[in-house]
Amino acid sequence: MNRLYRKALLFLPGVAFIVAVFAAIQVAASNGAVNKVIVPPPTAVVGVFWHLIVSGAFIVPLFQTLVLLFVGYGVGCALGVLLGILMGSFRPVYLLFEPLTELLRPIPKPALLPALMLFLGLGPSMKITIIALSTFFPVLVNAIQGTRAVDPTMLAMARTFGYRPAAIIWKIVLPAAAPYYLAGMRISLGIALVVVIIAEMLAGKGGIGFALLNNQRDFLVQPTYAWVLVLALLGLSLNALFTWMERRATFWHAPSST
Amino acid sequence: MNVRSQGKAPEAPSSSLGASRGGESLTITSVDKTFGGKREVTALKEVSLAVAPGEFLSIIGPSGCGKSTLLQIVAGLMMPSHGKVFLGANDVTGESAHMVYLFQQYSKSLLPWMTVEENVMFAFNHRLHLRKKAARDRCSEYLEMVGLDDFGKYYPWQLSGGMQQRVAIARALSSEPKVLLMDEPFSSVDALTRMELHALVQELWERKRFTALLVTHDVDEAIFLADRVAVLTHRPATISEIVGVDLSRPRRPVEVHENPRFLEMRHHLLNHLLRKPEQSDEPPV
Repeated sequence: MNRLYRKALLFLPGVAFIVAVFAAIQVAASNGAVNKVIVPPPTAVVGVFWHLIVSGAFIVPLFQTLVLLFVGYGVGCALGVLLGILMGSFRPVYLLFEPLTELLRPIPKPALLPALMLFLGLGPSMKITIIALSTFFPVLVNAIQGTRAVDPTMLAMARTFGYRPAAIIWKIVLPAAAPYYLAGMRISLGIALVVVIIAEMLAGKGGIGFALLNNQRDFLVQPTYAWVLVLALLGLSLNALFTWMERRATFWHAPSST
Repeated sequence: MNVRSQGKAPEAPSSSLGASRGGESLTITSVDKTFGGKREVTALKEVSLAVAPGEFLSIIGPSGCGKSTLLQIVAGLMMPSHGKVFLGANDVTGESAHMVYLFQQYSKSLLPWMTVEENVMFAFNHRLHLRKKAARDRCSEYLEMVGLDDFGKYYPWQLSGGMQQRVAIARALSSEPKVLLMDEPFSSVDALTRMELHALVQELWERKRFTALLVTHDVDEAIFLADRVAVLTHRPATISEIVGVDLSRPRRPVEVHENPRFLEMRHHLLNHLLRKPEQSDEPPV
């Protein structure tokens, strides 16, 4: 408890700064220094946000977005780790796929949206595909690196005890390189959230991205900001959840950052 | 090659006790190892060695002479360029699942995400598929042998270096190997811990009588533990001499290190090792 208190105290200036910025906007919006319609007072936005929450209106769009996010992200992570292990363990596989991945990796994935819409239409399969693609590459790059970084002594040890390659990958490589896989997955989580919102904005009938754009088109400025606030809290919670899981999954690994 | 003890070496068991409860004979026949690359390097040349069932054989040599390479070939972790490795009558060249290897870097061979107990189980339970209770019992049996039965629930990184190496020893023995290969396993612990580990390994070997092959650059350690000590020359490494160790067992660290016979062998082996590389082709004394 004491530690928590001291940590909170440490972040006090940062929190105070946020409060100060919003107080300044509040004042500027109230006395007409800025256009109240475009920059509504934060208290009004919080009011709309609160209504969004208590009325339960946030549930359906949030659920739609989360389903797309988790399916796409899950597929992207699984494929990234799988191919990363294969490319990191077997040189011929690496040499086969490396040129292709180097070509595809730098493409900003939303650039593929128009093409994907042609193939897959505007439905969930298109959105899941683009999210999975965006998730895939950062995970893949880290997974290749992590697989290669597994200490040869561990691998030799397992071999002398008679473990076969598949068992060695499952029992040694996967846990030993888990910190790398998770680092890639953490980077991808942020990207996936960006991409799901873009996809919903471009081709949506639901989800938070659609809600945002729909409100803006109807010139409902305050709800637009309220949805942004929902996204901020969503991103924050997802990250906190991920950090918690990461710590638990790699408890034996010395944390690289504080 | 004029090996002094070749007459009696290959098949004769050196231990007069003749006890070979858990061991299997190990035969290395004219193993060569050449590493490719721009300039070819011959690491091992015509290395032949016969270890009797239940015998403890040390291999010493100057650092970088290819001792570890030889041990990795014996373990099946590396293919020789020429030559074969036999376990009993079976050709096991390049097959890695027959012998257990004790690594120098215990901190890298123990799995940090597993407890001490799980690390020990890792050695045998994929083959035996014991029930939880039976697996636990076997774990504690071996952890008790190395004096760590109270530490099963700890993680390796919570233990000292010497304790970690004892876990590695317990893990190695829990798979009940016919042959135990040791690659300088005592070189990264402090001197006192090393002596304790020597005594422990000797005791466990007396009990289980696996065939033991120890690679080391520490002459004292080589003599203290072994029935015979083989000397590898500078690169390309080949066996220049095999010395029988006629010290009675069980050997006590302090007494053995003051024993005149021990000092004599130590003197001889150190002289042999410290000769200049270019002289190493001369016939041994």
